[in-house]
Amino acid sequence: MEFVISHLVKSYGSKQVLKDCGFVFEEGRIYGLLGRNGSGKTTLFNCINSDIEFNSGEFYFRDGKDSAGKIALQPEDIGYVVSTPTVPEFMTGREFLKFFIEVHEEITPDKTIDEYFDYMMIPEDDRDRILRDYSHGTKNKMQMLVNIIAKPRLMLLDEPLTSLDVIVAEEMKNVIRNQKDGHITIFSTHLLDVAVDLCDEIVLLNHGKLEPIDKNNLGDSDFKEKIIAALRDEDDA
Amino acid sequence: MMLKDFFTILPKVLHLRSIIGYNSLVFALKKTPVIGKMIPDRLYKTAFLKVIYWIFHIIKEVGALFIGKMAGISCVYIAAWVLSSAYKSHDMIPGMSESSIFGMFALFFFILYALIGVLLNTNIFKKTPEKDYLVFMIRMDAKKLNNTLFAYELGKMFIGYYLVGPVTVLIGCPFWAWLVIPFLAVLIKLFGAGFLSLRYKMMSKKHKPLRNSYAGDVFKLVAVILLMPFLMIMIINGYYVPMPVVIACVILLAILGIIGFFVLKNTDATLHRKALHDGHVVEKASAVEAKNQTRSFKKIKADGSFKSDKKGFEYLNDLFVKRHRKMLIMKPVAFSVIMLVILAFVIYLFIACYYEDNGADACRNMVMNNLVNLFTFKGFKDPLVNLEDSSFQFFRWCASFQLFGLLVPITMAENSFKCTQAMYINCDNSLMTFSFFKKREMIMKLFDIRFKQLLKINLPPAFVSAIAANLVLFATGGQEYPFQYLVTFIIATAMVVTYTMSWLALYYLFQPFTTTVTVKSGAYAAARTVFSIIIAIVMWIPAHSLIVLAVTVVVAVLFVFIMRKLVSKNAPKTWRVKA
Repeated sequence: MEFVISHLVKSYGSKQVLKDCGFVFEEGRIYGLLGRNGSGKTTLFNCINSDIEFNSGEFYFRDGKDSAGKIALQPEDIGYVVSTPTVPEFMTGREFLKFFIEVHEEITPDKTIDEYFDYMMIPEDDRDRILRDYSHGTKNKMQMLVNIIAKPRLMLLDEPLTSLDVIVAEEMKNVIRNQKDGHITIFSTHLLDVAVDLCDEIVLLNHGKLEPIDKNNLGDSDFKEKIIAALRDEDDA
Repeated sequence: MMLKDFFTILPKVLHLRSIIGYNSLVFALKKTPVIGKMIPDRLYKTAFLKVIYWIFHIIKEVGALFIGKMAGISCVYIAAWVLSSAYKSHDMIPGMSESSIFGMFALFFFILYALIGVLLNTNIFKKTPEKDYLVFMIRMDAKKLNNTLFAYELGKMFIGYYLVGPVTVLIGCPFWAWLVIPFLAVLIKLFGAGFLSLRYKMMSKKHKPLRNSYAGDVFKLVAVILLMPFLMIMIINGYYVPMPVVIACVILLAILGIIGFFVLKNTDATLHRKALHDGHVVEKASAVEAKNQTRSFKKIKADGSFKSDKKGFEYLNDLFVKRHRKMLIMKPVAFSVIMLVILAFVIYLFIACYYEDNGADACRNMVMNNLVNLFTFKGFKDPLVNLEDSSFQFFRWCASFQLFGLLVPITMAENSFKCTQAMYINCDNSLMTFSFFKKREMIMKLFDIRFKQLLKINLPPAFVSAIAANLVLFATGGQEYPFQYLVTFIIATAMVVTYTMSWLALYYLFQPFTTTVTVKSGAYAAARTVFSIIIAIVMWIPAHSLIVLAVTVVVAVLFVFIMRKLVSKNAPKTWRVKA
């Protein structure tokens, strides 16, 4: 299974953020979407998640290399984890999971609620507290957890490690790595080190276009300089 | 020096105000569906339009001067005029000319009016967006800024009051009253500002935050509301404050005003800055207000005692309502019910007791002598309904038609809007990032649950309105036809259905909130205004209650059907987090 972005254009007024964007993402891999602040990473995700409308282009799933076999994206195909965790703060963690599982009648959970909590390393004494009182990291884990339960084909992770402490960040990285099989994972970040550490491939979002970076170069000593040079605006040079 | 500061700072403030106003207007337009897409970014820097806006801004400032300041003082003069002619015609103060009585009442009412203004609205330290920018970002001297804006307000008031003068002199106001009142106004304002400044100095010494307490503001408001009718009834019945006492008050206030000026002059810039920083005097700065509002919505009651045995979206809604019980149900419903019960009893006692004890004539005379009638309803005649010229019939007419139609929307508007705010900030805002939440069938499932829930919240105050209306009908001769009392309840229900649907559907169709609960959608605000105006116009058309019944029921059914269809069609696109 592949996820294809084709000729995607998105403008805010006269400013074109995504310019004829195109890329093919493969199942079972983690893609690091790397770009500068304001380069359009969140805009791209919001377009895919139907949160904002785009000007032109399309995205679809493709089974194998059969270019004719376009499979349209359904809302349930997408899991979206945003950098500022958004969870219904008036519910406890347990109540939120119960609600989430109940409204997803099509899902057959393979674990009990407590097993899910254990999987995400959410402490027992947090599970029956309202989500408002959760730490930033635990809220992030909750957000990740419901997306894991929903088993979407495409997982969009918008800077999910931002402002997490070292331990929680490592735990989250492990969860993301464990979840990559059977999913297409796109992980956006503006931190090069995080992208290199976690992702199988790196895609640059630069000047409104998606550009692949040769994965064989990941280990090169001057790799960082090349990326920085690629991301640097012509005006900066 | 002070004058130089004034002329240096004021243009900057007015310029900043116009920039904020212009940019907010363009921003709101750009966020409006259809129109927004046609508006280019370069509109933000179009000099020509900025000049046009700047002209409108000046017109607005002048308009505020004429309408705002003059409306208040006009009420004072009108009250004095009506009372002086009534007092003279009944010769209630022998030996005093009508003009002198006019002057006495004008001064007396003005002192009251100005003191109430000082009590409720002394805004020299009030935090506003422009003060925020100028003091905390550009680091302008807070004292100079506050004093400049205060002087500007005083100037506008002074001119406004003088402009009303010639008309008042023509209707009998003595010349000296016209001359004295604007000066007195400035002095009372200075007294208020000086007093507040002194209070802040003392609070600062005790390291307390420089702001008014919310409870204090409510207390002052309630005190004023309770005091005024009492005072008016006293005056109507011939009890007045004699001229020498009024003049003594004027002298005392003038002295206090001069002291206030010097207190204000000696207040240092640090205190001004600290007062602005501690802010929230009567907080109006939109960003801070939004944060405060948002924080108030975050007060979630979750002590483990509220559980639910429902499933799915019913479960979500049940927990949401139970955990926001105080905000969603207890507070607005209790408030509406208490207000309406008081209102019902006031009207009921007002009419029924006099009617029972003294008969219709005495009741009519009493009501006729009431200030409300004297000022507002005297000579009232309805063109469509055959009514006697009496307050007695007026209240009956109100109960049958207008009063009811006005109370129900007012009580519900606050509840419904607060509910949608709470829904967004504590629930939908977070769940909207999940794709399942934006699926059409899921949206409609939750929409229907919420519609029922809002109905439950809105029906009690509407029914209390119905009881109030029925009480008045009962006390003023009973129902005109069988089941009229029941009809009142059915109309209430139909109105609740329509209004509730409108509030909820508008939320789903426009989703006007950003990350705070502040409305950021021009289209939503416009739709709400248009809808409210239509409702107000329709409800104030005098019609027989059976016609009202038929119309409200048919409209309610049609409206629910149409709005559900619209929400079902559009909400998957419109009901989302605003970027």
